[in-house]
Amino acid sequence: MGSKMTMKVILRQALLVLGLVFASAAIAARAQAATPAEAFVQDNIHVGLDILNNKALSTDTRRTQFASFLLSLTDMKRIADFTLGQYRRGASPADLAAFDAAFQNYAVAVYQSYFAKYAGQTLKVTNSQARTADDFIVATQLIDPNDHSGQAPLEVDFRVRTDAGKPVVTDFSVAGIWLALEERDQFTSFLGQNSANIKALIGHLNDLAKQYRNG
Amino acid sequence: MRAVKALIFGGCSLLLAACASAPPSPEALAANDPYEQTNRQTLVFNGKIDHYVVIPSVAIYFFLVRDGGRRGVHNFLGNLSLPTIFVNDLLQGEVTRGSQSAARFLINSSLGLAGFFDPARKMGIPGHGEDFGQTMAVWGADEGPYLILPFLGPSNPRDAAGLVIDAAIDPTNFIPLKQHLWWSAGREYFTVLDLRGQNYQTIQGIQRSSVDYYGSLRSLYRQLRNSEIRNGRPAAVQDLPDF
Repeated sequence: MGSKMTMKVILRQALLVLGLVFASAAIAARAQAATPAEAFVQDNIHVGLDILNNKALSTDTRRTQFASFLLSLTDMKRIADFTLGQYRRGASPADLAAFDAAFQNYAVAVYQSYFAKYAGQTLKVTNSQARTADDFIVATQLIDPNDHSGQAPLEVDFRVRTDAGKPVVTDFSVAGIWLALEERDQFTSFLGQNSANIKALIGHLNDLAKQYRNG
Repeated sequence: MRAVKALIFGGCSLLLAACASAPPSPEALAANDPYEQTNRQTLVFNGKIDHYVVIPSVAIYFFLVRDGGRRGVHNFLGNLSLPTIFVNDLLQGEVTRGSQSAARFLINSSLGLAGFFDPARKMGIPGHGEDFGQTMAVWGADEGPYLILPFLGPSNPRDAAGLVIDAAIDPTNFIPLKQHLWWSAGREYFTVLDLRGQNYQTIQGIQRSSVDYYGSLRSLYRQLRNSEIRNGRPAAVQDLPDF
């Protein structure tokens, strides 16, 4: 009887020690997600992938949820201003406001289309670099559990700013290609060919957003 | 042969005519694209070649050759380019990647039956691309202005010169063959079919989703080339523009 009691106490203590070991390992792993930018990407991006992967949601609900998730995570106004390049300076406030709205509409459709391609994959933060005190590049890899080709995982980097009270994404790159940078090159090239006609650009963006939505 | 001559003549005439056109706009100069109007015309010309010659050939190729056969052709062509990749690996001081290229060539040429199969990948030796344009970039050569070459697409003087050097150092060009012209032409033809077949959906996606296809292509080409030159290593973060 006495030895049974002793065994129970030893077992309980062993379980307690094991629990503590696992808990501290988890805390250490969490602490290793080092910078706030890395933690932000690790905690949030998979939420977006989960929304896109959730087949229980209707297409419309999934689209609405992803849009509100994306808008809470990104600084769309800053991205929109960036993509206009030098043409932002000469634009009227009314044109800028209309462009911001059209860009937001377009960007949600484009980002949704990009990330939908990676449904079923998981994201792993690998490291981060500080460009300035509040501008970080967080490197991640998209791991496809069903890929047995031996190919290296796809590298996806996120540009995160931390100067707006909470971290926000301003750009992301897939295999070394930055999306906002490509959009800026495209939009400024279009405006250069079309006498800086921002209204024409807005019209194109609205058409493309519609086209993306219709698949 | 006459048709090929006519096409080359047409492309060169287009290039010369456009070089003599209006001076570049400030926007084109700012984008390091002083020949933008010429390039846009060449892109239209290439688009017609693509639409009327390349795409129908790819369609016939896909109809006649099944997926496994096309993969074999892709592997074979990739294996042929490995000696050039190996030389460029070494010229860039990339010893590990060079040894991967050498190992892939030896394994795939033998166990892979002249390169039609890719057992090296299954052994954990991944493939990669490399060319003399990238080598010159690693050595510090500037890319120069953006160009769209007739038939070949986006480029710049550095990468265009690299194409010539790559052809010059390609050991398969030194194999004495009686029908060398046909061998080279056949290889280039199947390279075009393979490349276009692989990129068909990607290019269609860019064309459909671009506000300005030319501007999009220019940005993608430059970003992709820079990524290739870095061999997948992260870019210097200071080079990224301010938001």
